Amino acid sequence: MTAPATNLQKTDAPVVASVRDLRVHFKSKAGIVHAVDGVDFDVRDGETLGLVGETGCGKSVTARSFLRLVPMPPGIPVSGSIMFHPRQRCTACDGAGCVACDHTGRVVSTCPACSGTGCSTCEQTGAETLDLLTIPERDLRSIRGNRIAMIFQDPGKALNPALSIRKQVAEVFYAHRSDELLASAGIDPSSHSLPTGLLRRRATQQSRTLENVLLSLPPLRSRRSAITAAADDRVAAALAETQIPNPRAVMDRYPHELSGGMKQRVMIALALACDPDLLIADEPTTALDVTVQARIIELIKELQQRHKTAVVYISHDLSLVRRVADRTAVMYAGRIVEVGDSEQIFHEPEHPYTRGLIDAIPGAHHERGRLAAIEGTVPELIDPDPSCRFAGRCDFAAEVCWTRDPALEPVGDRQVACFIHHPPEHGEAPTFDRTAR
Amino acid sequence: MTAATDQRTVLAVRDLKKHFPIKDGALQRVVGQVRAVDGVSFDLLRGETLGLVGESGCGKTTLGRVLAGLEKPTSGGVYFDLSEQQRTELDQALRAGQGEDLAQLEAAHRVDRLDATNWRRFRRNTQMVFQDSFSSLNPRHLVSDIVGRPLRVYKEASGSALTERVVGLLEQVGLGRQHLYRYPHQFSGGQRQRISIARALALDPELVILDEPTSALDVSVQAQILNLLHELQQNRGFTFLFITHDLSVVRHMADRIAVMYLGRIAESGETTGLFDDPIHPYTEALLRANPDLTGDDEGFRGLEGTVPDPARPPQGCRFHTRCEYATPDCGWEIDDVVLQLEDTPALFDKLVGVERRSPFDADLEFVDASAAAALETALHGDEVPSSMKAAIEQVSVGAQTVSIKFREVNEVLLTPRGNDRLAACVLDALPSRD
Amino acid sequence: MSTTSTSPPLTTSHESAFRVRLRRMGETSGRVLSNPTTLGGLVIIVVMVGMAVLAPWLVEPNTPNASQMPRDWGAIAVPPGSPGHLLGTTNTGGDVLYGVIWGARTSLRLSLIVVTVTVAIGVAVGSLAGFRGGRLDEILMRIVDVFLSIPELIFALAIAAVLGPSFRNIILALAIVFWVKYARIMRAQVMHVKQNDYVDASRVIGDSSWNIFRKDVLPNSITPVVVQATLDMGNIVLVGATLSFIGLAEAGLAEWGVLVSEGQAGISGGRWWASTFPGLMVFLWALAFNLLGDGIRDVLDPKTETR
Ligand SMILES: Nc1ncnc2c1ncn2[C@@H]1O[C@H](COP(=O)(O)OP(=O)(O)OP(=O)(O)O)[C@@H](O)[C@H]1O
Ligand SMILES: Nc1ncnc2c1ncn2[C@@H]1O[C@H](COP(=O)(O)OP(=O)(O)O)[C@@H](O)[C@H]1O
Ligand code: SF4
Ligand code: SF4
Ligand SMILES: [Mg+2]
Ligand SMILES: [Mg+2]
Ligand SMILES: [Zn+2]
Ligand SMILES: [Zn+2]
Repeated sequence: MTAPATNLQKTDAPVVASVRDLRVHFKSKAGIVHAVDGVDFDVRDGETLGLVGETGCGKSVTARSFLRLVPMPPGIPVSGSIMFHPRQRCTACDGAGCVACDHTGRVVSTCPACSGTGCSTCEQTGAETLDLLTIPERDLRSIRGNRIAMIFQDPGKALNPALSIRKQVAEVFYAHRSDELLASAGIDPSSHSLPTGLLRRRATQQSRTLENVLLSLPPLRSRRSAITAAADDRVAAALAETQIPNPRAVMDRYPHELSGGMKQRVMIALALACDPDLLIADEPTTALDVTVQARIIELIKELQQRHKTAVVYISHDLSLVRRVADRTAVMYAGRIVEVGDSEQIFHEPEHPYTRGLIDAIPGAHHERGRLAAIEGTVPELIDPDPSCRFAGRCDFAAEVCWTRDPALEPVGDRQVACFIHHPPEHGEAPTFDRTAR
Repeated sequence: MTAATDQRTVLAVRDLKKHFPIKDGALQRVVGQVRAVDGVSFDLLRGETLGLVGESGCGKTTLGRVLAGLEKPTSGGVYFDLSEQQRTELDQALRAGQGEDLAQLEAAHRVDRLDATNWRRFRRNTQMVFQDSFSSLNPRHLVSDIVGRPLRVYKEASGSALTERVVGLLEQVGLGRQHLYRYPHQFSGGQRQRISIARALALDPELVILDEPTSALDVSVQAQILNLLHELQQNRGFTFLFITHDLSVVRHMADRIAVMYLGRIAESGETTGLFDDPIHPYTEALLRANPDLTGDDEGFRGLEGTVPDPARPPQGCRFHTRCEYATPDCGWEIDDVVLQLEDTPALFDKLVGVERRSPFDADLEFVDASAAAALETALHGDEVPSSMKAAIEQVSVGAQTVSIKFREVNEVLLTPRGNDRLAACVLDALPSRD
Repeated sequence: MSTTSTSPPLTTSHESAFRVRLRRMGETSGRVLSNPTTLGGLVIIVVMVGMAVLAPWLVEPNTPNASQMPRDWGAIAVPPGSPGHLLGTTNTGGDVLYGVIWGARTSLRLSLIVVTVTVAIGVAVGSLAGFRGGRLDEILMRIVDVFLSIPELIFALAIAAVLGPSFRNIILALAIVFWVKYARIMRAQVMHVKQNDYVDASRVIGDSSWNIFRKDVLPNSITPVVVQATLDMGNIVLVGATLSFIGLAEAGLAEWGVLVSEGQAGISGGRWWASTFPGLMVFLWALAFNLLGDGIRDVLDPKTETR
């Protein structure tokens, strides 16, 4: 269990990414599907934020929006921003952790426009701020897999079946750490000579056939293999970190030769290879056995402690999110309906939907046949009218719930979107005492 | 179910095996057998719910399919609908071996030997609900066709009487007349699973085999379906075999539980007892890996490794490759050495061949003497579990070969542990963990 | 529109299974026809088939044998627009218009017979192999492999040559060659469909194998065969015309391939019409069925069909 002190520290921690009024719709034959329809939340440095909800409520679309991986079309970016504050290695301690960086080894990158004094681009924070939804594709590419990494539900599909594990993991280093590779191969990355240029292109995997021929000739050959060796070392180290036994042997295998749990470990190794600031995990264990799932969760938690990475952990399994997340955001029909400290949310859920979800999990206290099921299913989100999206399934819904949108507003330390907690100015408010049915 | 004195056994399963041949090469020669179910025995009593749990690939679905009559068993028997007395007779007859009594019982009750009328009775009374609600409903049939089909097969109803029966069934599963003339793709996952259940109920069967009926559903919908299943069981007295990998679900639904590992039952018993006080280390491992809403993080732990290849199940106790309490008597064998070798590629590359005299006794040949010596050293190293070291009876290093002989053990069988509990483990109880 | 409609709108209470099925068929055909190229293909087909059916009323049938082109020895190789010969005549006085219109009849007959026979054999063999499996499957598939090892056109050519030049033998040769393709498609489909849980579900309720095949397997496996058959309605005419062109049909037959063959000698002499019009017909016929086949494939694709 997380001690209250660390919780406090985490709630005070600086924000790594903040999502504001995110709306992503899809064009379909029946109309416009409002898949994500006004999502707001923050991810804080070093925390794990759980994102839960039933299938189709927009978790994956939200997650994919961070890296602009939602297919457009049919997707339509409607509005919103995802402000990302990248960090950089702490210069005072070179990543080892010191007082200046609060023992994380990393500090906020300063705003290039004002070099940290505060200006309008950084909203006076002095921190580098990138809107992931609007920055040019080229800048985004240098963030993907580098500053923000993602792991998916099906590790089998996310890995390229035709490439060995070595190649796939090495690719990340070639793409984002070419300078380090050159340096460890004894080549000055800042030099502008032709051989260095060739080797640099090799290290960023841009070499053409002709260049490859040149590189395989004696003068450059040894240095080329030095680069390869440097990359191999890093791959082995990355795999070893995810407790893959015997990483050097696994490197030469192909994805189909590995078990599901092993593939997911490779994915995690890939994701954490460049020490990202933010890891987005979209149901990383749904396809795995509980026994393996528990191992992967342990692993993610442990690595997160070591790397101080912020994690957005998506799952439809509430009992699992309770195990991993410091804070939890509950999503329903394209909106966040409740967000706050996990322990609080699972202990005393405030939103009727959160209550319903928690009560639906069979536990020792449930008499057989008496699970509190939420009747019905997630509504289709085609051109919805203003109303609480949950009204059709809510036991407490009142008149006002059908005509107005409840906003996500603070309740104690949490935020909840429900008229029970924020009675409207006009009309009768719903209460927990009175059920509609 | 009036008196406990004549508790009918819906299914009695005796040493059931289902092996699938592994074919290879252009000639499709059989090169081995996947032992998906490998010696399973239990009774399924009328009106009870038996939960079947285990990791994926341990044979749950295969067992369910054999019990449903979808696959023929490789050996062993499934006996349908026995009285208490018949069951006793069956066990006596089986112990006595082939005989008049057995032949008689088998003709009337053994599922793969039933005559036409008895087969028909079995067929009507054993129904199944599948995990994948997409694939279990014919996309070209209307709901009225799907749910009405069993009634049509047995000529129970036709015309408007059939329609009314179907409406009745739909209402029992929380759907209605308005759903009669729709196609499966017009329904959500939960609704499709209700349709599957309605089809299974149509013939008012004795036994319903539920293969992960809620695994593809959200918790909220899962709760609806679990409530529905319970209500139906209350009203109609069904017997359920509930297959799942979700321990919270099975704890909620089952009266008794059988834990399966690699084609066999590792432990079985009454639900609360088994959850509160597991005896088999595998049961404990499953429980600890189950994320529930009450436990604390201390107990939450995964299980290292994967289920071994069912074509070559480990000797002794099948769980010994992953068991943290393994003793020298748990079946350590040559394969375990080879497995350790695979993790040390420097040595593994020098391994030329393994000459087995038995699973426990073999010569490992290397390219040079130093490698052979290195293996011997490695066997004393920290990588090797101490119980495995203790199980080695003899190691001798020849020129380029190492002969290793492990203690020979028999297969670890299910033994009674009181309170209706059975467990297949050499330990009497789990070692306390402090 | 409301946010709470979880399932499609309520249908009226006096809905019947028949109406729902009819509506689904209507919707499917509607979707086929909503694609302009598919519709174009269908229009061409309707015109050509109409031509074939109405041939006796469009051009007076030749006596005694209507499928032989009439020879007008008084008007050899006259250009299109000549009196009595709207599309001109061939070197041997055959009326091109007659050949074009009655050729449609020959082609329709050819493709209908060949497709019906081959689909019937192919579906039967493929279903048997796929549904039963085991030894029977192995034997049938070895036979299919033998057939497949020889290129279609060459095989048909060889058979037709052995049987002797006549149009009936062309039909026979094509039937012998083309069923293999359907057998293969059907077997693969059946093997795939057989794995669906709904097949096991039907076994569990105790339905007979024949019913399971008829209700569950066949309807769900037939789509690719239908698509292939539609494409082949066009392709077979192309192959048939090729065989006729190289002289495997009776000379003077009112068939497009024969006509192209008879007219080709005149092309160098500027007498383009005798080959061009029938050639165009072959092209249009094949094109039209290919357009339709592609359209059907897009609509009946299982991935787009549901939802
Ligand atoms: N490529 C797409 N085209 C059309 N609609 C889409 C697409 N991707 C997502 N959607 C729709 O957006 C909504 C949200 O989908 P999303 O995948 O984010 O759900 P989710 O919460 O991740 O669900 P799950 O638990 O099943 O993963 C759904 O209604 C879905 O149908
Ligand atoms: N038809 C089959 N042919 C070959 N192997 C099979 C077949 N069906 C199942 N198996 C194998 O049998 C083992 C048990 O499978 P299954 O019963 O599906 O496990 P579970 O349902 O517990 O996940 C697996 O190793 C699986 O690969
Ligand atoms: S009470 Fe009203 S606002 Fe709150 S969840 Fe229910 S329907 Fe929504
Ligand atoms: S017999 Fe018991 S202790 Fe030994 S390996 Fe098996 S489960 Fe573990
Ligand atoms: Mg998702
Ligand atoms: Mg299974
Ligand atoms: Zn520092
Ligand atoms: Zn600034």
